[in-house]
Amino acid sequence: MADSTTPYTAIDHDIFATVQEQIERDAQVKEEIRDNLKSLDKQSKQINSMLSRVHSVPPSEVPHLVAKTKPYFENARKELHGLIETVKAYPYYKYNGLWSRDLQNLTFLVLLETWLERMYTTDTPQPGNALLTIEEVGERFEVPVNLQTEDKFHITIEEYLHAVISLVEELSRLMTNAVTQRDFKRPQLISTFVKDIHSSFQVLNLKNDSLRRRSDGLKYNVKKVEDIYYDLVVRNLIASEAPTEEHVGIKKEEDVENKMDKD
Amino acid sequence: MESGELHHKRPRQQQHHGSARPKPGPHDAARDAELLASNNPFMPMFLRFRGELDEHHDRRERVIKASRDITALSKKMIFSLQRARKIGAPLPQQLLKEVTSRHAEINRQLSGIAPDLHELNAHRYQRNISGGLQELMEALAFQHYILTGTLLSYTGAQKLIPDGIELTVSDYILGIFDFVGEAMRFGITLIALNGAGGDGGGGDAGKILLDLRRLREEFEALDTTAGAGVLGKEVEKKMTVMKQCVEKVENAVYGVIVRGSEKPKGWVPDLDSQPLQMHSEDD
Repeated sequence: MADSTTPYTAIDHDIFATVQEQIERDAQVKEEIRDNLKSLDKQSKQINSMLSRVHSVPPSEVPHLVAKTKPYFENARKELHGLIETVKAYPYYKYNGLWSRDLQNLTFLVLLETWLERMYTTDTPQPGNALLTIEEVGERFEVPVNLQTEDKFHITIEEYLHAVISLVEELSRLMTNAVTQRDFKRPQLISTFVKDIHSSFQVLNLKNDSLRRRSDGLKYNVKKVEDIYYDLVVRNLIASEAPTEEHVGIKKEEDVENKMDKD
Repeated sequence: MESGELHHKRPRQQQHHGSARPKPGPHDAARDAELLASNNPFMPMFLRFRGELDEHHDRRERVIKASRDITALSKKMIFSLQRARKIGAPLPQQLLKEVTSRHAEINRQLSGIAPDLHELNAHRYQRNISGGLQELMEALAFQHYILTGTLLSYTGAQKLIPDGIELTVSDYILGIFDFVGEAMRFGITLIALNGAGGDGGGGDAGKILLDLRRLREEFEALDTTAGAGVLGKEVEKKMTVMKQCVEKVENAVYGVIVRGSEKPKGWVPDLDSQPLQMHSEDD
């Protein structure tokens, strides 16, 4: 290092040239990724806007709505593979932060689409079938999921869980709007679903990150869904299948929680 | 920041859902069986996620802890190195011993977390180890400068850390920014002890002055805004501090030339600089 063949070697200019070069190469990769994400986002926006109509159309039209999104999902899948092509040469987590939100959003859309498809089309929807597993999401987009060691593109648990929370939030909104449509079947499905997801999240030991903060908010969705369900039962708009006592019990617990929050 | 995240808020949540949320640590098999037997169809998947997320958090905490330890050890290395008095010469025996043992401990820490930072996880905990690596870069660059009188290069720095630990250009360059502060302190100490080398800046203090000016020029030419990453913002903050450091050395050398050293050793007034000296005392 300490050669003195050239007059001023103490601060070697090449050191900075190398650093500059690396910064620029890095910036170029990020630029390419952002271009990919712009195209992907365009498709996601389309799908999002189409699926949003579920809040305003009668239940009978929902299957039709869902069918219309299929080509856009296919486009999104292609765009996603364009992104994978761009980033496959680099360590997965090096640039993961750039697309993680977009991937969460796309995953949410496919979860919502499937929920609507499975809970609206058949006469006897299976609540156990309502949520696509992370593996099924991967199959839909032909992307690996939850890899443990191999360093390549995949959908992570965290991204999937964020999408599940978004789904709960969206369904809580649908709870209200379904009732407005005089649809009393979906509220029962949503109610079961939201409660099951909420208690599933309880088993995770989440640290204080964005996932933790969002999952803490799930209890408000449960409360909203419970309140609507209660309104429907009280007015005999739906038959209460579960014993009313249990239902009231859950409501009390929620109230306690709210009081504690205010403390 | 990260440290706060780890412990914050947990008890409150457990109060809420005391029965539903298992405490972290070894999982209760009976309780799990109960959960699986409930008619919640999503429970098996979430229980599987739980184990994997726990592993992730454990890895992350190990990396954060190592990063903190490495930061502390690097600072100690720097304290020791500040006691050196010459550039381009081997360290005195006692200093060498201190510095070497600390560097060895840092390498042991890094090798310890290497398994948490490989394959898929290569960049996953980058943010968590970054602080330690930057501080280490500062220490290693400082040591390299004292021993050789030259700036440690990126490739040179990579060779100084154990295999399996990746050094990003960002961590390297941010460490070099901080190194300027150490070189400044080193230079000021030399000036306080010896004056500016007795010949108006030709000695080690003079060398530091020249090198820091050159460094400043290089830093100023560097464009770190490309890619709109974190680096650009970090560099912006460090740039101001770096400039102040260079100016402090410039002022110190100026002060010595004008006023002579604060602790003159057989200092004889220089007739040539007398008018300047009077001028400065007018302030």
